[in-house]
Amino acid sequence: MKLKRVKLHKKGITYEGFILPQSNDKTIVLKLENGYNIGLSKEGTSIEELGEVEVLQQAAEVSQKIGDIAILSMGGTVCSRVEYKTGAVFPSTNPADLLRNLPELEKITSFHTKSLFAMLSEDMSPQHWAIAAEAVKSEIEQGVKGVVILHGTDTMHYSSAALSYMLQDTPVPVVFVGAQRSPDRPSTDARLNILNAAYLAKEGPIAEVGVCMHATTNDTYCYYHRGTKVRKMHTSARAAFRSINSLPLAKADFSKEEIKPLRSYHERGGQLKFNNAINGNVALIYSHPGLKPKLVDSLAEYDGVVFAGTGLGHVATNAFNAPNVLSVLPEIKALSDSGIPVVMASQCIYGRVNLNIYTAGRLLQDAGVIGSGADWTPEAAYAKLCWVLGHEKDPKKVAAEMMMPIAGEISSKSGIEEVD
Amino acid sequence: MSQTPQLKCGIEIHQRLDTGKLFCRCPSVLAVDEAPDQIIIRNLRASESEMGELDRAARLEQEKQLDFEYDLFKKDCCLVEEDEEPPHPIDNVALLVVLGICTQLNMRIVDQIHIMRKIVVDGSNTSGFQRTALVATDGYMETSQGKVGIDAVAIEEESAGIIETKKSGMKHYRLDRLGIPLIELATSPDIVSGEHCREVAEKIGMILRATGKAARGLGTIRQDVNISIPEGARVEIKGVQDLKLIPKIVEIEVNRQKAILEILKKLKEVPAEENPRIVDLSRIFSNTSSSFINRGLLAGQRVMGFVLAGHKGILGTEIQPGKRYGTELADYAKTAGLKGIIHSDENLLDYGIREEESSKMQEELKAKEEDAFVIVLAEEGQGRMALARVAERASLREIPGQTRKVNPDGTSSYMRPLPGKARMYPETDIHAIEVTEGLLDEARKHIGEGLEAKQKKLEELLNPEMAKRMLKSRHLKTFEKLIGMGVEPMLAATTLEDTIVALRREGVEIKHLDKTMEGLFSHYLNGEFVKSAIIEILPEMAEGIPVEEVLKNRQLHKISGEELKKLILEHNKNMGEIMKNYRLRVDAKEVKELIKTL
Repeated sequence: MKLKRVKLHKKGITYEGFILPQSNDKTIVLKLENGYNIGLSKEGTSIEELGEVEVLQQAAEVSQKIGDIAILSMGGTVCSRVEYKTGAVFPSTNPADLLRNLPELEKITSFHTKSLFAMLSEDMSPQHWAIAAEAVKSEIEQGVKGVVILHGTDTMHYSSAALSYMLQDTPVPVVFVGAQRSPDRPSTDARLNILNAAYLAKEGPIAEVGVCMHATTNDTYCYYHRGTKVRKMHTSARAAFRSINSLPLAKADFSKEEIKPLRSYHERGGQLKFNNAINGNVALIYSHPGLKPKLVDSLAEYDGVVFAGTGLGHVATNAFNAPNVLSVLPEIKALSDSGIPVVMASQCIYGRVNLNIYTAGRLLQDAGVIGSGADWTPEAAYAKLCWVLGHEKDPKKVAAEMMMPIAGEISSKSGIEEVD
Repeated sequence: MSQTPQLKCGIEIHQRLDTGKLFCRCPSVLAVDEAPDQIIIRNLRASESEMGELDRAARLEQEKQLDFEYDLFKKDCCLVEEDEEPPHPIDNVALLVVLGICTQLNMRIVDQIHIMRKIVVDGSNTSGFQRTALVATDGYMETSQGKVGIDAVAIEEESAGIIETKKSGMKHYRLDRLGIPLIELATSPDIVSGEHCREVAEKIGMILRATGKAARGLGTIRQDVNISIPEGARVEIKGVQDLKLIPKIVEIEVNRQKAILEILKKLKEVPAEENPRIVDLSRIFSNTSSSFINRGLLAGQRVMGFVLAGHKGILGTEIQPGKRYGTELADYAKTAGLKGIIHSDENLLDYGIREEESSKMQEELKAKEEDAFVIVLAEEGQGRMALARVAERASLREIPGQTRKVNPDGTSSYMRPLPGKARMYPETDIHAIEVTEGLLDEARKHIGEGLEAKQKKLEELLNPEMAKRMLKSRHLKTFEKLIGMGVEPMLAATTLEDTIVALRREGVEIKHLDKTMEGLFSHYLNGEFVKSAIIEILPEMAEGIPVEEVLKNRQLHKISGEELKKLILEHNKNMGEIMKNYRLRVDAKEVKELIKTL
């Protein structure tokens, strides 16, 4: 990028510096010699050009010999840079940008990088999961010891769940990793997260699809969470990712060469069962007081619906036939009857769906709602329905497959142990 | 005032503002003597600036690669201080105060304020940067030596306070101070002498305090003095607390630069050696009688050193009172974590190093008669780093620009290189702030009349000496409040400036001065007691006893009117007698007037 070096004359005062791209019709944004940016209105300002200066050198190309691990980039804060045009943080397409800031990485493992997407994770769709799974598969076939996937945090738990279904019995670790503070900041959490992710991929005994992020607010160690049992639980904090209804798979601290398993896990050496067929035409609906039958009715255009129901897994059913109470039960039954699977999870996030306790639950079961007994997160249930519908159309078989645990998304036992 | 020819001197002032924190809604209070609610551990990395360079000062800190510990206080910290949440919008009051001060200093305020991230990776900010914004440029103030330019005013957030650097090198900070608003004000290098510098610092301090929004107390204002002489370099001397010391600081720094210029003349013919051969000299000390070297060697440390060609006698040259050129080099070794260096211009016998050990070192180092040498005792890696920094400094054939720390005696010690200009990039989490005419009007209203108007008003209310004292007083705000209530100005002023001090000397500390004074004088204005009783009432109020009770317990109610008439008659109109016995309860003026009527 080239910046113009100028002298701006305004009301008898001269400002010298570079014109930054966030300038617009009304305002010139100037980077002064002392490093400060200031905005000056164009009115009454004359510009004296002094030449141009090249800024922001591109990162040197990282050698792409096949390394012990593959680092795939799907975008997000973790591979972002400051974008000067808008002044905002923007994903970078070049994983080398990030690795330049992490000289320690080479001490942990040799690696090669590949950029799949440069996007913010909220922009992803289920089709992106399929492409990522394909890329992981080809890395596994190349014989890597593990795969690290750089990903935006907003929907990382959707992707990790989806790839858990697509890459069953993976022989090597597939470690999603993100950052809550962008790598251009000295306090970025990307460093600890990526180094631990690389360590888990290279040395870890756990061959599962999972998420590696800060365990606490401290820059000390990370948790490795099972891909189907993890959820982003804070908008901004480092320890945003939590294992839900489960302990994390392990605690990871590369600096002490420590990976401490916290629960049972799949060991390395499995035989990959790959299936990345996906149906992205699935809705995830958050139930709320006043949910209108009309909205549920409109879900008929989808091939499947997941509800994040209230409490044990409810939506309004007007179980006691009270006057003036809305019910969406007929609309849900209509969806189900027409062959659109309706799946229930809970917006409580923690705990198990149980449609046997209240009349409402029983009515929903009678209407064909799937999910009673599942302790899945809404996102794991959603990704699973997308995946099941990718290869199965028969509603009965879909229902049966949904309730069969395939990647740890449903556990039969509700554990009582928890970590901070 | 004596002027140093061609002295270039400017001053930079940081003043904490008495508003909420700048980028979150926590209060700006310190958790004094409180135990932290939580301690967190973080690691910082220098990152690239938007111009793609790594700042020099940042790189120096990065070499240390330290983890940091932070004490967290729930009362005045939130996720923003913890760097776990993006900043909230800027504190509006702080912004108005800074804009208002800019208008008083005749400054050119920018049309759009851009918050920047100033990279600071010494751990004093959890984010690794300090948020700061340039608000105005090109102002001036009047002084006894003519106009002094105000180059720039910035608004920024205060850093975390350091508690200690542990033996492991880990620095431990507290987060209560982080985020308190600061106004940073830098003058042009128009200051002509040390005395002038002091005057400017004092006046700026008064202008800031006149807004009523400047925080008061230890550490709430910091002065950094920038000094250079012809052929010298800009040196920033940080941490000046006592304004009286400024003239001395300036003089010492000028002389330091002059002394180094003299040294450089002598070194003119000596080639600069940036990477001298570092020699391990430990073997020489295998049977040493120097106990500290012996201890170090046993602990696995090494004695290492290098030659400084043509430096004999130079390391021993005094460049500041009591500090030699060798001390200057030692300061660089200290940045690598060492306690110091040993050099050949010192009496090595003082270290327990025998003469044969000295000559063997000379031999191994191949030092000639005219050479000097520097040695350190340290763990090998650390020792090499320290020696490399010493060598780099010694190879300079010009005075380096530096950031230095002031010592209590007015001398200074090297801290780090001057920060380069690549240390800033935009704070992307906060939008630019448009400075509209409406905002400026609000700012002017917010900070009131300004120093000069205030001064004039005080001169009208008080005698010249008290007016001067009041203008500088930390109780100015309380004074103005009392005047507003209708208290006689001199009474309010003497109570705040004299009575309080007298009581403090007796060990009476009044905690909530503002409230206490308001309470005291509202009863006084009701006519419940007389002036002279104030010094009797205050100590009891300091104990928390309400005024009414003090008056009752101590029988200090004012006697006036009919009751006083009776008293006067009882005492045969003897003014002296009455005043002697009822000094604390009667108003002399009233007694005098009543005597006349009776």
